[in-house]
Amino acid sequence: MKKTAFIFLALLLGVSLTFADGGKKYGKDLTLTKTTKVSEILENPEQYDGKKVLIEGTVVNVCKKAGCWIEIAGDKDYESITVKVNDGEIVFPADAKGKTAVVEGEVFSVVPKSEAGCKGEGGDKECGDKEKGEKSENHENCKDKQVKKETPQKKYLIKGIGAVIK
Amino acid sequence: MKWRKVVRILHRDFGYLAFGLTIIYAVSGIAVNHTSDWNPNYVISRDSLKIPPTRDSSLSKEEMVAYVITNLNEKDSVISSFKSSPMVVDIFFDGKSYKADLKTGRIKAEIVEDRAVIRQTNYLHLNAPKKIWTYVADAFAVILILLSVTGLFMIKGKKGITGRGKWLTVLGVLIPIIFLIIYF
Repeated sequence: MKKTAFIFLALLLGVSLTFADGGKKYGKDLTLTKTTKVSEILENPEQYDGKKVLIEGTVVNVCKKAGCWIEIAGDKDYESITVKVNDGEIVFPADAKGKTAVVEGEVFSVVPKSEAGCKGEGGDKECGDKEKGEKSENHENCKDKQVKKETPQKKYLIKGIGAVIK
Repeated sequence: MKWRKVVRILHRDFGYLAFGLTIIYAVSGIAVNHTSDWNPNYVISRDSLKIPPTRDSSLSKEEMVAYVITNLNEKDSVISSFKSSPMVVDIFFDGKSYKADLKTGRIKAEIVEDRAVIRQTNYLHLNAPKKIWTYVADAFAVILILLSVTGLFMIKGKKGITGRGKWLTVLGVLIPIIFLIIYF
């Protein structure tokens, strides 16, 4: 019995080590081979909206609690792009900061609530109240927000499918 | 051999086999159940440091990094850096990072350490290894089903499934159903 258990354990360990991937790959396998520069995506975001890209860069920030997003530095100073993944599907490690990540995903855009003009929680209410007749300095602020409503600032992110962190 | 004896043997031996994985999945289950309260894999500590500020906005990223590590007398090796604005640089070390604002001289330090044992249990529980581990986890799930079914029929009489066992089993089935009715 002892011999059988030992052989079983040795076999299991051997097979596991053979198939182990080091834990540096996240999500699905990367399918693209040509990387796109982050600066190129940020300069022409509409062109990449909805398209699958492969990017590479330093991980400069990681979601602290759930590892559900990482921020990748661009090839130019001051530039970075956020890679968001479905909660639990991929969990980026908190110690990935500073390491190089190769990420495949789809570019998508969001309008952050605070920049979505007067729409959404808070903003809508604030403008609604002011529009009831209060013509003050605040009303001017509200008008500014109304202008923003017409031209909301889109933020471009990448929905991560797979990644390799080196 | 009587069928109840077979049930007991199966329950006993699969119970031994499942012990290790049950502990791993249970410990990790508690850990990942509270992700809104803590990071189950890492202990992240923060600190504030101060260096003499500078108004020189012409510094390159490399010069900014050198300015910070010299003033902090930092001995660890820099693995990478990122200039997030003209006067702010992020410096990354193994398991540690600094976000330095050279204009104010304020530095936010962040140290990331593994949560020993729990991180490893989460790694297995959340199937991070994938590949063959997927099948090991599947086999474990089948063993758990087997353990729960054989557990019902291990003993007969008042304490068996026909006695108080049936009420406890009904209770165990009702608990998730009640929660589903309330929350789902």
